[in-house]
Amino acid sequence: MDWLEEELRRALAREEPPEGFERRVRQAVARRGFPARRWLAAAAVVIMAVGAGTGYREYRGRVAKEQVKLAIRMAAVSANHIQNHVRGVIR
Amino acid sequence: MLVYLEKSGCDFTALVREHQGMVFSIAWHFLHDRSLAEEVAQEVFLGLHRNLGRIESEAHAASWIRKVAVQRSIDEGRRRLRRPQVALEDIPEPASSGRTSDPLLGATLRRLVASLPETPRMVMVLRYQEDWEPSEIAEMLAMPVATVKSHLQRSLALLREKLARRGMGAKER
Repeated sequence: MDWLEEELRRALAREEPPEGFERRVRQAVARRGFPARRWLAAAAVVIMAVGAGTGYREYRGRVAKEQVKLAIRMAAVSANHIQNHVRGVIR
Repeated sequence: MLVYLEKSGCDFTALVREHQGMVFSIAWHFLHDRSLAEEVAQEVFLGLHRNLGRIESEAHAASWIRKVAVQRSIDEGRRRLRRPQVALEDIPEPASSGRTSDPLLGATLRRLVASLPETPRMVMVLRYQEDWEPSEIAEMLAMPVATVKSHLQRSLALLREKLARRGMGAKER
């Protein structure tokens, strides 16, 4: 091996990274967390949002149904009242 | 923090401690930018952490780390080519890097190696930093052994010529 190769070996010898590198790697790992956990959290938020939307739509449906039933009952009472009145007139 | 590789039982922190010098140095000697080298080294270990489940042994982990360190350094070098960059001559050498018999020669050699084209640069880093045989470099970089040897010969000739022009050749030593 000639002088240049020896100097290259010295010049390109391994170096340790700046101080605190290992700690920064651990922090970066902790910041990113575990991918599976992140997906689970995101899925939970989506499920809750969809569930809340569905529940609200069901509630609005029940209210509308009650309103229609009430209107039908009122119409039936009125019709009954008119029918009784007509019968009374015929007699 | 103790994170054990699922299959192998290796300790993630121990792997970082053992291989951080190799990973950082490959990136540093290839990119000649210490902060970028640290970023690359961090990404390599974050990648290792993401792939813990696939690592089967310490030897497998070491081989995985080496391969990814080389590839990430090459990728970062290519990315840097597309961005405005500081000339290599303008990047200060860290005080701790003077291990050559002549600190000025050491700094010059690192700059000259960093100014080589991508493939011969990585060949030189792996040969003289990691002390790999041409056959190992050929396998890592997926090229014929003859090509590796040719890169080494041409790079050494180029370095000799450039050093001689700066008055740092063999005769001056």
